[in-house]
Amino acid sequence: MTTASTPKGRKKINWAPYLLILPSLVYLALFFAWPMVQGLILAVREEGALLTLHSEADRNSTLAGQLPRGMQVGLLGRQGNPIPPEEVGQSNLLTEVWFQIRGQDTEGQTIEGWTPERRIRVRESNESGVPVSGSVRSILSSSADPLTSVYAEADEDSEMVGQMEARTPVEILDQATLEVWFLINGEYENEIIEGWVPSRYINALGDGTRGRIEGGDTSQFTTRYIQRMVNDRFFWPALRTTLLLIVLIIPAQFVLAIIMALVIQADLKGSGIFLYIFAIALGLSDLAVGIVWYSIFTQSGYLNSILQGLGLIDAPFIYLSADTRYWILIAIWLAEVWRATALVMVIVVAGMQAISREVMEAAEVFGATLWQRIRYIILPLLRPSLQVALILRTILAFQVFAVVIVMSGGDILTVLANETYRQYYDQRNVNVAAAYASLILLLSMITSLFYLRAVRSQEEVAE
Amino acid sequence: MSSTADMQSKAVQVSPEVKAIHRRMLRRQRRGRALTYLVGILISLWVLIPILFIASMALTTPTEVRSYPKGILPFIPLSTATMEFFLGSRGILPGLRNSIVVAVITLILSTLIAAPAGYAISRFIFRGRDVFRLSILAVRAFPIVILSIPLAVVFLRTGIYDSVYSLALMHTALALPTTILVLSSVFSSIPYELEEAAMVFGCTPTQAFRHVVLPLVMPGIAAAAMFTFVLSWNEVFAATILTIQNRTLPAQVLVTLNQSSEPYQFAGGFFMMIPALIFIFFIRRYLFNMWGQISK
Repeated sequence: MTTASTPKGRKKINWAPYLLILPSLVYLALFFAWPMVQGLILAVREEGALLTLHSEADRNSTLAGQLPRGMQVGLLGRQGNPIPPEEVGQSNLLTEVWFQIRGQDTEGQTIEGWTPERRIRVRESNESGVPVSGSVRSILSSSADPLTSVYAEADEDSEMVGQMEARTPVEILDQATLEVWFLINGEYENEIIEGWVPSRYINALGDGTRGRIEGGDTSQFTTRYIQRMVNDRFFWPALRTTLLLIVLIIPAQFVLAIIMALVIQADLKGSGIFLYIFAIALGLSDLAVGIVWYSIFTQSGYLNSILQGLGLIDAPFIYLSADTRYWILIAIWLAEVWRATALVMVIVVAGMQAISREVMEAAEVFGATLWQRIRYIILPLLRPSLQVALILRTILAFQVFAVVIVMSGGDILTVLANETYRQYYDQRNVNVAAAYASLILLLSMITSLFYLRAVRSQEEVAE
Repeated sequence: MSSTADMQSKAVQVSPEVKAIHRRMLRRQRRGRALTYLVGILISLWVLIPILFIASMALTTPTEVRSYPKGILPFIPLSTATMEFFLGSRGILPGLRNSIVVAVITLILSTLIAAPAGYAISRFIFRGRDVFRLSILAVRAFPIVILSIPLAVVFLRTGIYDSVYSLALMHTALALPTTILVLSSVFSSIPYELEEAAMVFGCTPTQAFRHVVLPLVMPGIAAAAMFTFVLSWNEVFAATILTIQNRTLPAQVLVTLNQSSEPYQFAGGFFMMIPALIFIFFIRRYLFNMWGQISK
C-alpha cells in the first residue's frame, strides 16, 4: 500500500490514500451534495411550468413557442401519433387505437390498410384478447360519408388505400395505439402562438374546441414557492420563535457548559462519574427529551405536583396552552438547554485539556481569582473550540423540531423545521417544504459566517 | 539538595504570620474544592432528576401515571404495566424492529465507508488532505433538514421510498462525517511504528493492518459504531419524512403523539432513552476523541 519509493527512485504519486477516501467522497457526493443542490432547486424551480409547442404533430419538428401551465387555449385540430408502449399507461393521456385490416373495398378488390378502431366492430378475439376479425360499422349520421376510409398508415393524413361499405367483414391483422396531438393556440406575452402538443398536457373542455394546459414539459425559475412560504400564516411566527429560541438557548448553554467543564477539569475524586452524568444527555433524542419535560410541565405533571405539595398552588396550573405561550417557550428552552449543553461541554472540555497546565498553575500562583482565570486565560484560549461549538449548536438549534411538537402539538408555537414538516406531510407541498429547508440552510450559513468573522476580527483587534 | 535544605530552614524559620497565610490558603482551597463538589452535585441533580421522573412514570401503573398530584417518591408502585401497554400498542414493535434494522445497516455501512478514509487521513500526507478534512467538517455544519425533502422526492421517483434501506442510506450520510473524524483520531492514537515493525518482520501492509492495527483500534471502532447507532436510533425528522408504513420507533411515536395517552408517551420517551444511557457509559472514554477532534 505504501508505494512511497519505487525501485528507480522516481517520484511517484501515491494513490493509496485517494483510493481509501474515494468511497466516502462518492457517498457524500451522492447522498449529501447532490440532494442539497436538488433541495435548493426544488425551492425555486417549477417543474412543467411551460409547455413546448411543435410546428407539426411530431416531437422532432421545429419548436413553435411555449405557453405557461394553466392557460386556456383553443383546440384547432387533432391527430394521432404513435407512442412507445411504455408510455401508454400515463395519466391524462388521450389515445386512439387503429386497426390494420384486410377486406373487400367498394370495388370488390381485397385491400389492406389502417382505419380507426371506432370504425370497426370486433367480432372475434384470440385467447389473449387480441381482436382478430370484425366488420365495418355503419355510420349513422346522415350527412357523413357512409363509406369507411382505409389508409396506408395509421394516420388520417396518409394516402387513402380505398373505402369500405358498412358491415363488410374484415380480418384484423395488427393494431397500433396512438396518442392524440392537439393543434392549440394561445396568447402569451402579446404574441399568438400556435402549434401541436401531445394530449397528455391538455385537458379538453366541453365541446372540445377549448382546453387548458394541465402541465408543461419544461421547468422554469419561479419565486412562487418562496412567496407562498412567506405569505403562509405560520411563516413569521415560525421564524420569530426559531430566532428567539436561539437567542435564549445558546448563551445559557455556553454558561452552563463552561461551568460543567470547570467542574470536570477540577481534578476531583469521582470526576469520572460527573463526566458520565453530564454527558448522558449527549445521546438523547430531542423527541425523548421533549417527552421528559412534557411530563414535568403537563397539567398533572411533576411541577404542579411539587408546587401543590408545597402548598404554593391550590389547583393544577395549565402551562402548555395557547394562553400561556411563554410557558411553552420556557419548557422548550429548559428541554433544549438540558439536552444539548452536553455537546458544548464535551467540546469545551476537549479545548481545556489542550490548555497547558503551566499556564493555569502560573495564574493560580500569581493569585488570579477564578473569574480572572476564566476571563483572561480560559476564554481567550478556548476561542477556537467555542467557535466550533457555537456554529454546531446554532445550526442544530435552527432545526429544533420534535421538542416543539411535543410541547405545543406544533400549532400553538411553531418553528421553521416544523413548518418544513407540515408543508411536506400535511400540505403535500414538496416545493414549499424545500423553500423552508433552504431558508434554514441560508440562515445557518449566514450565522456560521458571522461567527467566523466576528471571532477573526476580535483577533485582529487584539493584534 | 540545596532546595530541601532551604525548605527545612524555612520550616524552622516560619513565622506565625506565614503559617496563618498558609492555613488560610489551605482553607480557601478546601472551600473551593467543596464548592466545586457542590456545583457538580447540583448539575448532576439537574441532569438526573428529570430522568428519574420519566423512569418512575414508565415503570409504574397507568393509573398512577394519570393520578394527580403525583407522589415525589419514585417507582411506587413498581410495575411493568405502563411499559407493556406501550410495547403492545399498534406499530411499536414493528417500529422497534425497523429502528434496529436501520441503525444496524447505518453503522455497518458508515463504518465500512469511513474506516478507510479515517485511516488515510491519519496515516498518509497527500495533496488535498486538508481540503478533504475541511470539507468533512463543513458537511457537519450543514443542516440535515434540507436533505430529507429532495431525498424523499428522489426515493419516490426511484421507487425506494418508505423503506428502511433508503432511510439507512440517508442516516449513513448523516453519520459519515463524524465517523470519519472519530476513526481518524482512533487510528492516529496507534503509533505508525507498530505497523512498521510488523512490516520489518515480514508482514505485508495488509497483514500488518489486520494483525497489529485492527485489534488495537477495535474498541475505538466499536465506540464509533455505538455512537452511529444512537444517532440513527434518535433521528426523527428524516425518519418521519422518508417513511409512511415502515416507520421507525421515534417516527411512530411522533406521529401518534397527539392521539395518544400520557402513559404511552412517557413509556415511549423512557424507552427511547435506554440505548443512550447504556452507550454513553461505554463510550465516555472516547467522547473527547470524538468531539475534541472537530474543534481542531
